Amino acid sequence: MSPTSTATHAVVADWRDVRAWPRRIALAWRRSLRFRTLALTLGLTALTILVALVWMALAIQNDLFESRIQQVQSAASRATQSAQTTLDAAVVESDTLALQNLMDRVRTSMSRQAATDMIAAFRISDQPSSTAPQDFEAGGLTADMLTSGLRQTVRRDAGTQWWQSIGIPADDGGHAPGVVIGQQLILPEAGAYEVYFAYELGSEAQTLQFVQVTLWGVGIVLVVLIGAVSWFVLRSVTVPIAQAAETSAKLASGDLGVRLPVQGEDEFATLGRSFNAMADSIEAQIKELAELSLVQQRFVSDVSHELRTPLTTIRLASDMLNDQRAAFDPTTARAAELLHAQVQRFETLLTDLLEISRYDAGSVQLENEATSLAHLAEDVIASMQQLADQHGTDVRLVAPGGYSPVDMDPRRVRRIVRNLLGNAIEHGEGRPIVVTVDSNQEAVALGVRDFGLGMSEADAERVFDRFWRADPSRKRTIGGTGLGLSIALGDARLHGGTLEVWSELGRGTNFVLTLPRQGAGLRGTPPIPADPGDDGIPSDDLGMTQPLDLSDLAQGGRP
Amino acid sequence: MTSRILVVDDDTALAEMIGIVLRTEGFETAFCADGAAALDVWRAERPDLILLDLMLPGMDGIEICTRVRAESGVPIIMLTARTDTADVVRGLESGADDYIVKPFNPKELVARIRTRLRPSTQPAGETLRIGDLTADVAAHEVRRGDTVIALTPLEFELLVALAAKPQQVFSREMLLEQVWGYHYKADTRLVNVHVQRLRAKVEIDPDNPKIVTTVRGVGYRAGAVV
Repeated sequence: MSPTSTATHAVVADWRDVRAWPRRIALAWRRSLRFRTLALTLGLTALTILVALVWMALAIQNDLFESRIQQVQSAASRATQSAQTTLDAAVVESDTLALQNLMDRVRTSMSRQAATDMIAAFRISDQPSSTAPQDFEAGGLTADMLTSGLRQTVRRDAGTQWWQSIGIPADDGGHAPGVVIGQQLILPEAGAYEVYFAYELGSEAQTLQFVQVTLWGVGIVLVVLIGAVSWFVLRSVTVPIAQAAETSAKLASGDLGVRLPVQGEDEFATLGRSFNAMADSIEAQIKELAELSLVQQRFVSDVSHELRTPLTTIRLASDMLNDQRAAFDPTTARAAELLHAQVQRFETLLTDLLEISRYDAGSVQLENEATSLAHLAEDVIASMQQLADQHGTDVRLVAPGGYSPVDMDPRRVRRIVRNLLGNAIEHGEGRPIVVTVDSNQEAVALGVRDFGLGMSEADAERVFDRFWRADPSRKRTIGGTGLGLSIALGDARLHGGTLEVWSELGRGTNFVLTLPRQGAGLRGTPPIPADPGDDGIPSDDLGMTQPLDLSDLAQGGRP
Repeated sequence: MTSRILVVDDDTALAEMIGIVLRTEGFETAFCADGAAALDVWRAERPDLILLDLMLPGMDGIEICTRVRAESGVPIIMLTARTDTADVVRGLESGADDYIVKPFNPKELVARIRTRLRPSTQPAGETLRIGDLTADVAAHEVRRGDTVIALTPLEFELLVALAAKPQQVFSREMLLEQVWGYHYKADTRLVNVHVQRLRAKVEIDPDNPKIVTTVRGVGYRAGAVV
């Protein structure tokens, strides 16, 4: 349901904003199956109904008109014939009065027979005649309502009936539809007359209007009905589809327990059953994998723990032997020393391995305390001073920010810093190391920059891999386990932070730890960028003043 | 006077090795490899200190710790392979004074034991007052009025350390150094748990402490004398 309803909702939300309509409709068209299908159905049905209605309306109109024309034609024709018969039989001997009377009689009978009182007659010959009856216009039919074209045609052709549609002035000033029929009538002595009968088509127009209104009404009702019907039909189709979509989305987002409701035996039921079967199978496989992984993690953890008890015994024994090595002969003494050193190394390895297995099992919990990263860095540098002195390395702290306490697990952060600094001292080639601490609104960061040999890009990408060493042939003095940076990365991630590396052959390496302040995610620019930019030439004549202007380093020249 | 130490560990090799180390340092040792028998051995041997492995057959170390604490304040140091929060905290809450994580080195072990066995650093014969309590340092006794409150040696030392300098606020690190003998960064949970245990015994309302007061963000301080 949700994709549809969201789209619909979005459309409804800003319907007032007319300018946004096209965009919203396009959006609904793209996003909502129901909207699209409904729009298509309505559009096509409306078009079909429109065509049918127009065709029907035209046919009815035509039919009504034609039959009425035929009716009035025959009425007019009958009236004219009967009038002609009367005229032919009449004996008028140039008696104007008698002729006029005859004309009046004919006019009355014609009016009766043709069933209209709108009659007009005009004498065709323009020769003056004393006996010819006067032209007449009755019932509102006047000469100027007739077109000259009709009149000429009627005058020219004696035997034929002609008709033409006209507008008859109505009482309200408008024009009612009507038809006028013209024919010749021959009066004895007076010659030919054009006779016109006009008929109103008002009732036909009314009928037609009624029929048309009914038709359009029916059409609109039909479209609405079809729209409603398709809406309901579509609903029965799109609701399950939307449901399936939503359920798939939930499943995809990791909620493996969701299933589609299955009803009946139609295609949706089949879809639902197949979907549920698929979800079952996925769930089972993922559970199996998770269990396997859990077993694996527990195994690593158990092994590490089980190893600790015998290791303790070995450790105690080797320490004891080592303490007493002065009493041994030189070979045995050396053996005791080696044993002691290697047991220690073994122990470190085991501790690291156990830590890694904790990350894998996701069972690590932070013990946060408000801690000043700058002070912490100071502590770590002080604690590693001895090692730095052994390498003849000068470690500087540049801390423009990061003094205010931020929630972090100080033991883990200290471990990260110790690890980074240890690596820097080991690979720094005795050149100065710059530890930078800074902060901004969202995060605190610590950078450890050495100006040693650096690494290639491919190597830098792998520094966080377990047991990976940049250069196996390189002399090792701290005796790391190869897990240090993996653990540091794990610790950084636990804090919701990042540990990034920048390194370039000949320019040294820069590790940057960024920790978000409490409640804030890592957004925007970090306080210290991983890429130190174009600062980086190691120099022996670094100034001792703090903070260090890193741009000065560039003057030093390459090694 | 040589101190007697009971080593409760089911790993006989480790127990023997610990025994060797301790005897080299001049301690007397007794052993028990079975959790179920540990209490009987403890009652028979009456050691000055117990080294207790957390994972034991029969009865686990935490259970043993709880039962011993019900009868005695004898110093208990846990040996644990797991540093996971829950295990260690559970052990401390059940009354262990300190813990050592395997693998440890002999010097560390001996240092921890000696700290727990050493006599109180406070001058004897002094009587201290904290809140409505009186602490007699020489007699290792704390009273509220006429009622004696039974404290373990560690709890007593913790209370006396605070009471000796009533104006001073002690950070957890200071207490770790003074009471537990740690000279480097150690687990501050030790302090938290034992302050809770101490409060449960000496405070009238542990939720509203008057004897050991918390100074937010810094540490603890002895309550004002009433």
